Amino acid sequence: MNGASTAHTARGTLFPSALAVFLLVIVLGPAWTGDAQAASSASLTPHYLTPIAAKFSPDGARLYVVCEDDDSVLAVDVRTQKVEKRAKVGHKPKDLAVSPDGRTLYVSNEWSDTVSVIDAATFEVRKALATGWGPRGLTTDRLGKILYVANSIGNDVSVLDLATGQELKRLTALRSPHYVQLSRDGRRVYVSNILAHLESADESPVSELMVIDAQKQTVAERILIPGVLELRHIAEAPGPLGGYLLVPFMRPKNLNPLIQVDNGWILTHGVAIVHPARASGVVSSHSEVTEVLLDDIDRYYAGADGVAFTPDGRYALITHAEAATVSVIDTKLLAQRLRSVPAADLPNRLDTGRQIVVHRLPTQSNPTDVVVAPDGRGAYVVNRLDDSLSVIEVPGFHIRARIDLGGPKEISALRQGERLFHDAKFCFQGQFACVTCHPDNHIDGVAWNLETPQLGRDRVANRTLRGIADTAPFKWNGHNPDLETQCGPRIAKFLFHSEGFNAAQLADLVAFIKSIPLSPNRHLAADGQLTAAQERGRDIFYQKACDTCHPAATHYTAKTSFDVGTAAKYDTSGMLDVPQLDRIYEKPPYLHNGEARSLEEIWTIYNPTDKHGVTSDMSKEQLNDLVEFLKTL
Amino acid sequence: MRSAQQARWLLSMVGFLWFLPVACAQTPALYTKWENFTTANGMPDAKVFSVAVDGARVWAGTENGLVLIENSKVSKVYTTADGLPNRVVTGVAIDKKTGDLWLSTFGGLSQFSGGEFHNYDSLTTGLANNIVYGVAIQDEFVWVATTAGINRLNTRTGEWAIFSEKNAPMHEPWAYGIAVGDKKVYVAVWGGGVLEYDIAEGYWKPYTDPDGEMEIVLFKNQGLIHVIVSNISYNHDTKMFWASTYFGMSGYDGHNWYNYLSTDSGLASDFINATQTRGDDVWACTDKGLSYLNFKTNTWVTYRPNKDTGKGEIVITAADKKVTKVETATSLAHNYVLNMAFQGEDIWVATAAGLSHGIHESHKEGKSNEQARSSR
Repeated sequence: MNGASTAHTARGTLFPSALAVFLLVIVLGPAWTGDAQAASSASLTPHYLTPIAAKFSPDGARLYVVCEDDDSVLAVDVRTQKVEKRAKVGHKPKDLAVSPDGRTLYVSNEWSDTVSVIDAATFEVRKALATGWGPRGLTTDRLGKILYVANSIGNDVSVLDLATGQELKRLTALRSPHYVQLSRDGRRVYVSNILAHLESADESPVSELMVIDAQKQTVAERILIPGVLELRHIAEAPGPLGGYLLVPFMRPKNLNPLIQVDNGWILTHGVAIVHPARASGVVSSHSEVTEVLLDDIDRYYAGADGVAFTPDGRYALITHAEAATVSVIDTKLLAQRLRSVPAADLPNRLDTGRQIVVHRLPTQSNPTDVVVAPDGRGAYVVNRLDDSLSVIEVPGFHIRARIDLGGPKEISALRQGERLFHDAKFCFQGQFACVTCHPDNHIDGVAWNLETPQLGRDRVANRTLRGIADTAPFKWNGHNPDLETQCGPRIAKFLFHSEGFNAAQLADLVAFIKSIPLSPNRHLAADGQLTAAQERGRDIFYQKACDTCHPAATHYTAKTSFDVGTAAKYDTSGMLDVPQLDRIYEKPPYLHNGEARSLEEIWTIYNPTDKHGVTSDMSKEQLNDLVEFLKTL
Repeated sequence: MRSAQQARWLLSMVGFLWFLPVACAQTPALYTKWENFTTANGMPDAKVFSVAVDGARVWAGTENGLVLIENSKVSKVYTTADGLPNRVVTGVAIDKKTGDLWLSTFGGLSQFSGGEFHNYDSLTTGLANNIVYGVAIQDEFVWVATTAGINRLNTRTGEWAIFSEKNAPMHEPWAYGIAVGDKKVYVAVWGGGVLEYDIAEGYWKPYTDPDGEMEIVLFKNQGLIHVIVSNISYNHDTKMFWASTYFGMSGYDGHNWYNYLSTDSGLASDFINATQTRGDDVWACTDKGLSYLNFKTNTWVTYRPNKDTGKGEIVITAADKKVTKVETATSLAHNYVLNMAFQGEDIWVATAAGLSHGIHESHKEGKSNEQARSSR
């Protein structure tokens, strides 16, 4: 518990500053209070870098690192292991691509809806290219003429002409497209999706890996990966190994009562092995998918995220962002394993990890990405919540060094809380962390048999953590009056099956969760003006008295429970906490058990007796308008 | 060597003779060779509602699934078991930019992308009604003709707009077909004529039968020939739309109307299910065969099978009303024609008894010409 003690130390050092501010307020009077508080807040909050992704320059001399909380990209000199360049980019940068000639960097800015174009030599930002909503993963084509950008909020892929900077087209992705990888032969672009298909709540999730024909820039195939969620990075094995892909995932048993965590096997973590179809084309493609788990029977490795092959393909490195570990897979052993065990059995076999993982290397907090140097003489791990890189000796596979990227040395309470949020060690056998089911502080898009031991009883959909600070009470039945209750003993007893967080840790964790902001609203015009349809929808919202339970003043939640007739057959109670409606468009599925796949279904299917507002007299046009207004909240 | 030269000379002469009538602007090139795809060779149903061409691929919407034809054979039939929302596929639109197919069905709208169906119905989305007759792509917008009005889906924002008798000049909400023009979108409305949507300005303009007489045309070329409009197409070359009605065919260039009845032209029937058009060519899909109009020369050609002989019959009606008939060994699968599509110089025709492929005779030699036409 190194982090916890650091947090207390940080508080201790900050206390005199807080006292000084307090005295200043008394001396200057109430008129200065606001500014003084703002100044205090700024001085008390260390400015972290939060590196999240990295890419090598083509010559391997530089490592470019994207820092999401610093809105910057860094250039690390691989020889000196020092940061030598820094460029400010847009808001919440998440990933980058390097042009094939190495002269240009492209950084995706998730909250600015842009890609920053940066001169790699001078590190000057040349311009920003407009993308879809929430740009995240990106890659150029082989000639550096086309840029593919995954839009995590828009659920599509922007195809940009880099000569003109214009968007040529958008291709439909699934949900929360995440990482984009150009195939080694340049013929395909692969796109992973964090969230799975919106299917019936009674079914296990099916995720999707999208394949784009890089010549036609059309969707060639959608590879279904059953039973898993949160497809992350993508790595392609060298040609001699068959050119298969490795795609890390989380495999939830969300239909089983989660209270069975102490039996193990509820949330497992692994990697999909995808053999893309050789023939391109819409119809004749039949890619093969096998899933293997990287956990051990009594120790889990949550948050499988970054992945990279050594140049010869002999080893693959996978980061476990919530276990502060890098697993090193011997691909020869992996091939043997695939030959010796039927593919249908592998997704549930917890003995694979010990067969194929030859090293488990400890990293710093929250390793989200790993890259291997082009010459194969080292691997670099991005420690997101440590503002550092871990350098791994290859092929010796030991941690050789830690590169400090220059973030603050002190660990604030918020930072400590964020680390706890991303740490699976508080769960029985390390099966999951808070973030495992709340990727990007949001939702995993599936419904869980969360607390009751009976199969199928009181199943509830995951709720977002974005912007929830002032939305108490919590939990779908509203039984938790505050986040301390929600995240404290309850989590320990029902979810983690461990001692959980101590009081100081809980305070830090809650502080962090309360600090999670809402993302910008993409459906509301910058000047706040509503469209005609949104205005009509607003009128309906108030005519139908929706604001009775969803008042605007309190994030569109009355902060209490009502029975709106949506209880399922095996639910204990029909009284359900009124959810806040902020950024409601980001949160499907809807209703407490995730039965409604869209906002429309709330009223077209799940309000047969008009208990959830008198809506049966609404026309289809009115419902569409209402939905358009709800998206602006 | 000498024989090869002779063969080449002979081929070029054949080609010259073939195009000679066209050059003389009297008789258009005729489709004398047909191959048919029916339930006997892989089609899942006799009735084919729609057909669309994507390069070498041909997609057909039938009463029992979506069919892909490649290399002159049915290569795949998609059914509800594959994710299709309904067995009845009334329309197929290809988004040339993304490669995705958009399907109108009797179970809603469907996007076929990368081998997977993503479906939109009236319970889960803003779609007005699940009975969908037509679909068309306008940049990032998908236009949908339903029995409860016209829908427009913004694929980037997810916004659904509905245009019906409540907010558009429609007598009836029953929309049958949609065509995207250069700056406008045209909708065929059953009983409501043609609706024109100005994309930039966002307003609707109706075209209805000016004489108001259901069965009579009082003045030729006065306006839309009839308000029961079954489908519509747009000619990007001539900037005209062509409306098919159950009482004749109308073309409009923004200033003048051009109306055709079977009684005063070579049109096979006034009962027309659809039109397709490009260049000087206008094709009318009727209940009595497939009619072709060369708009420039006013020459008509009608294709239909002869029920008595089992052979094909081509009826050529010149501008001076002179009629010439040609018998062919092969023909359309059926004389009830629902729609058609172009594939280079070839045509594909949806009929009540299968899908017919009209093969242009100089198919091999006219490769560059074919590519030029395909690119339109």
